[in-house]
Amino acid sequence: MAKLNLDGVECRYGSVTVLEEVSLSVKEGDFVGILGPNGSGKTTLLKSISRILKPYRGTILLNEADIYTLRSVDVAKQLAVVPQDSNIGFSFAALDVVLMGRNPHMSRFQMESSKDMAVAKKAMVLTNTWQFAERPINELSGGERQRVIIARALAQEPKILLLDEPLTHLDIVNQLEIMDIVKELCVKEKIIVLAVFHDLNLAARYCISAIMLKKGKIFAAGGLTEVLTSENIKSVFNVDTIVQRHLVSNSIFVIPLSPQKTSKYKKCSVHLICGAGTGTALMRVLLDEGYSVTAGVLNVLDTDFETAQFLKIPVTTEAPFSPITEKAHKANLAMISKASTVVLTSVPFGYGNLQNLAAASAALERGIPTFVVDEVPIEKRDFTEGKAKAMFSDLRNKGAEFVKNQNELLSLLNVSVENLKTAKEERDRILNHLKPEETRKEIEEETPG
Amino acid sequence: MSVEEVESTYSRRTSRWKFILGLLVFALFVTVLISLNVGYAQISFDKILAIISKEIPFLNSLVDSSWILPKDSAIILQIRLPRIIAGVIVGAALAASGVVYQGVFKNPMADSYVLGVSAGAAVGASFSLLFGTGVVIFGLRIVQVAAFIGALSAMFIVYNISRVGARVPVTTLLLCGIAVNFFLYSIVALLEVIAGDELHAIVFWLIGGFSNVLWSDIWAVLPFIIIGTVASYFYARDLNLLALGEDQAQHLGVNVERAKQILLVLASMVTAAAVSLSGLVGFVGLMVPHITRLVIGPDHRILFPASTIVGAIFLVICDAIARVVATPFASTLELPVGIITMLAGAPFFIILFRKKKQSYAL
Repeated sequence: MAKLNLDGVECRYGSVTVLEEVSLSVKEGDFVGILGPNGSGKTTLLKSISRILKPYRGTILLNEADIYTLRSVDVAKQLAVVPQDSNIGFSFAALDVVLMGRNPHMSRFQMESSKDMAVAKKAMVLTNTWQFAERPINELSGGERQRVIIARALAQEPKILLLDEPLTHLDIVNQLEIMDIVKELCVKEKIIVLAVFHDLNLAARYCISAIMLKKGKIFAAGGLTEVLTSENIKSVFNVDTIVQRHLVSNSIFVIPLSPQKTSKYKKCSVHLICGAGTGTALMRVLLDEGYSVTAGVLNVLDTDFETAQFLKIPVTTEAPFSPITEKAHKANLAMISKASTVVLTSVPFGYGNLQNLAAASAALERGIPTFVVDEVPIEKRDFTEGKAKAMFSDLRNKGAEFVKNQNELLSLLNVSVENLKTAKEERDRILNHLKPEETRKEIEEETPG
Repeated sequence: MSVEEVESTYSRRTSRWKFILGLLVFALFVTVLISLNVGYAQISFDKILAIISKEIPFLNSLVDSSWILPKDSAIILQIRLPRIIAGVIVGAALAASGVVYQGVFKNPMADSYVLGVSAGAAVGASFSLLFGTGVVIFGLRIVQVAAFIGALSAMFIVYNISRVGARVPVTTLLLCGIAVNFFLYSIVALLEVIAGDELHAIVFWLIGGFSNVLWSDIWAVLPFIIIGTVASYFYARDLNLLALGEDQAQHLGVNVERAKQILLVLASMVTAAAVSLSGLVGFVGLMVPHITRLVIGPDHRILFPASTIVGAIFLVICDAIARVVATPFASTLELPVGIITMLAGAPFFIILFRKKKQSYAL
C-alpha cells in the first residue's frame, strides 16, 4: 500500500524560492486538498511530487524510496497526474489517449493486451467518455477532453492520484460526477488523492484532510475542519467568510463575503425589526453600504440573531422560543430612539413577536422615519387572527414608508448618498481613461474635492 | 462507427497495421521494378527479372541467362540498381528521421534538417569538393566522409549549446538549430563565391541527387541507417506519449530527457548518413511524415514504419521521373532528384492537406 512522505521540501525556479520547508505525510485512503491563493505554490508542490521539478532541498519518499531515484516507469505505476489543461499535439483518438495510461504496465515491445483494453474501457465508462472513444481528442470540448485525461489517469491504476485543479473546464454536474468517482476510488481502493482546489466548497465536500499554503509555506495542515476555518481563510486568502456545516450535505461549506467596503461617508444608523431570517441579507448589505445597524427584539437562536452575532451587530434579545417580554420591549424602544431610521422586514407575526409591531408603531410616534418592507402580503404572515394585520395597516396611517423589496428600500435610503457617490465614480472613471499625465492633472485641478 | 465496434476494431489493430505494411512493402517492390525499367537504354521487364534473379543465391541456377547481354546486365546492376537502392535507403532514412523530429519537437515545421544537420553536411561537402577533389578515405569519396562528419558535428554543437543542466528544452533546440543553420550556410555561401569551376559540383550536391552512386557508397552508410532506424522504432510508443507534452509523458513513465537524447542522436545519425550519400534532398523529411499521418493517423507504431517505406517509394519515383525527364537529352543532362521531390511533392501535399485539414491539427 502506498505511502507518501515529504520532508523539508524546498523548490526553486532559478533563484526564486517558491516552496519552502514543506513536510507532509500522507497515508493510504487519504484525500488531501491543497488550498491556497494563486502563486502560493500549490502547483509547484504537485510538480515536485510528480518528478517534473526536482526539489532544491529536501526529500520526497514514495513507499520509503526517494522518488527521484526511482525509474520513471516504476513511479508511473504508482502515481498518476491529471494536469490543469492538456493540449495534445496530434489527433489521437480518445481511446488511444486512455490506452496511453497503460504505458507503464507494458514492456517496450508489447501491444495493448485485452486486459489493457478492458482497464481502459472501464475507466472510460466510469468517466462517461466511452461514447466518444473513437473521436479525435483535439475535436472534443474542454470538459470532454479533461474527462478523457482523468480516464487516462485511472487507466494507470495508480495508488496515488494527483489532481491539479482538474475541474476548471467542467460544468457542475461533471465536477460532482468526477469527484464522486475519485472519492469512491479513494474510499474503496484506498488510493491517496492529492488535489489542488480553487473552489473551497468542492474541497470541503470531498477532502478528508487539507493543507493550506501561504507564500510557499504550509500555513495550516491537518483534518479538513481544523484547516478550513474562517480565521485561516482570512489570514491566507484575506477574505471574510462564513464557514458552517451544511444541514443537508453534512459537509462544511464556505460562503465568501465580499471584501468589506470602507465607506467614507458616515451614514445614519438603522434599526432593524426582523426575525426568522428576514433581516439576514439586509444586515450585511446595510453594513456594506456604510450604515451602522442595530436590531431587535430577536429571540436567541433565531437565524437573524445568529447573523447579528456574526456581524457583531448590537441586538436586543429575548430568550429562545419565548414571547417578547415587557422588559425586552422597553430595551428595544431605547435602542430605537437612538436610531435615525427604522426598517421593518417581512417577518411573520405570531403572539410571541406582536410587540415588535408595537415597537414600529412607537418609532413612528416618536417621529423616526420608518420603512416597511412589504414583500409578502401581511395576510400570509399573520398568525394572530387579524391582530397583526390591523396593527400593520395602522403603520401606513401613521406615515410609514412602504417599499416592495430590499432594492427599493436601499435606493430610498441611499438617495442622497448615492448622488455623491456616482459623481465620484464618474470622476475616477474619466481620470483612469485619460492616460497623459497633463490632462490628468488638469482634471484633478478642475474637479473640486 | 458504433461504440460496440470500437473494441473489436482496436483488437484487430495489429493485423490491420501488418496489412498496411505488407501493402507498402509490395508497393515498394513494384516501384523499384518499374524504376529499373526507366532509362535511356530500353531493357524489358523479363530481362530485368532475369538479371536480378541471377544475382540471388539458389534462384540463379533456375534462370537461363544466356540471352542477356552483358551490357544490359551492367546497366541494371552497376548503374540503375545502386541508384535505386540509394533512393530507397535515403528516402527511408529522411522520412524516418522526419517522423522522429516532428514527434520530439511537437512542431509541424520540424524536419530531418532541423538540428543543423543539413548545413553541417553542406559545409563539409563544399570544403571537400573545393579543396579535396579525388581524395579517397578508406575507399570512400571524401565528399561522403566530410558531409557525414560535418552533419554530426553541427548536431552536437546545436545540442550542447541548447543544454541547460541535464535538460534540453525543445524550443531552445529549435532556435539554436535555426541559428547554427544560418551561420553554417553563410560559410557555404562564402565557399560558393570563391568556388570558381567547382561551383557546379557544390550546387548539385546542395540540391541532392544520385548520379554516379556506387555500391561501396551504399555499403558505407547502410549500417548507420539500419541501426538508427530500427533503434528509433523501439521508441515509437514513447513518441506517442511525447505528443502529449513532456510533462505528461514523464507522468506516464517515459524517461523524457533520456528518450529525447537517444532519439535525437539516432535521427541525426540516420540523416547524416543519408545526406552523405545523396546530398541535401529536400521535402522528404518534412512532408512524407505529414502525408502519411494524414492518411493513417498519428500512432507512431504504424506511422514510423509506414512513413519510412513511403519515403523510400516517394524518392525512388522522384528519381525515376528525374531520369525520364533527362532521357531526351541522353546522358548529357543530369537532373538532381531534389528538384523533383519539391516540384512533385509540394502540390500533392497541399491538395491532401486541403482535403483533410478539418481533422488535422498538430
